[in-house]
Amino acid sequence: MKKPTISGNKIIVPSDPEYLNDVDVFIEGILRGYGADESIIADIAISVSELVNNAMLHGNNSEINKAVEVSIDNKNNKVEIVIYDNGAGFNPDDIDNPLDDSNLLKEVGRGIFIVKSLMDSVNIESTSQGTKVTIEKAI
Amino acid sequence: MKLTDREQDGIVILEPKGKIMGGPDASLLHDKLHEYIEINKTKIIIDLNKVDWMNSTGLGILISSYTTLKNNSGELKLANVTEKIKSLLVITKLEGVFDTHETIEDAIEAYKK
Repeated sequence: MKKPTISGNKIIVPSDPEYLNDVDVFIEGILRGYGADESIIADIAISVSELVNNAMLHGNNSEINKAVEVSIDNKNNKVEIVIYDNGAGFNPDDIDNPLDDSNLLKEVGRGIFIVKSLMDSVNIESTSQGTKVTIEKAI
Repeated sequence: MKLTDREQDGIVILEPKGKIMGGPDASLLHDKLHEYIEINKTKIIIDLNKVDWMNSTGLGILISSYTTLKNNSGELKLANVTEKIKSLLVITKLEGVFDTHETIEDAIEAYKK
């Protein structure tokens, strides 16, 4: 695939961080339509950017022909966002604790920690066929 | 993200604007910082007033700037840190790493002490 495609509440983008902004514009637009306040929109947007970036770079290994799919839904003022990639998967338990003194000045490795801090719930299902991350936040 | 830069009293002030989330424009800040280090301008303030939010990529750029300047006998100061970014610095325990100031003027004064 060469460009983002939008269908209803879903956006599919190639695995290139150049398209992070397309996902952000799409997600923030829908959240404003839901009437979410700007601080919550920012928390969700930060989290989605983390997860889509991970899906592109680490999940799909920056293979441009592999897509990242992001869908968003509003269930009784609880927003649910699902991010899929087709990569080789990962074990969330293998991620170092970014708060350890030895990791504090590392430039990477905080993404999932930040998402867990900002969202009400985070569920990661990862297999050798791909990873599905579901996040929820009350608005 | 857009980036402007200027000098005041011999101190470089970098002003990113927008969202720092990764992708091609994330390297703008990193590259500009290194341009100044190469000409021995190592007193640098990053003004975050116009940054809507940043993710871990943005924090990584700040850490890279901090360590690069420290390794080149320089110093990084942050000014106008918004509440959203301040809360990210708190939850990641990075608030104790960076020298933050309420305003650009405060950050410049701190360099003079």
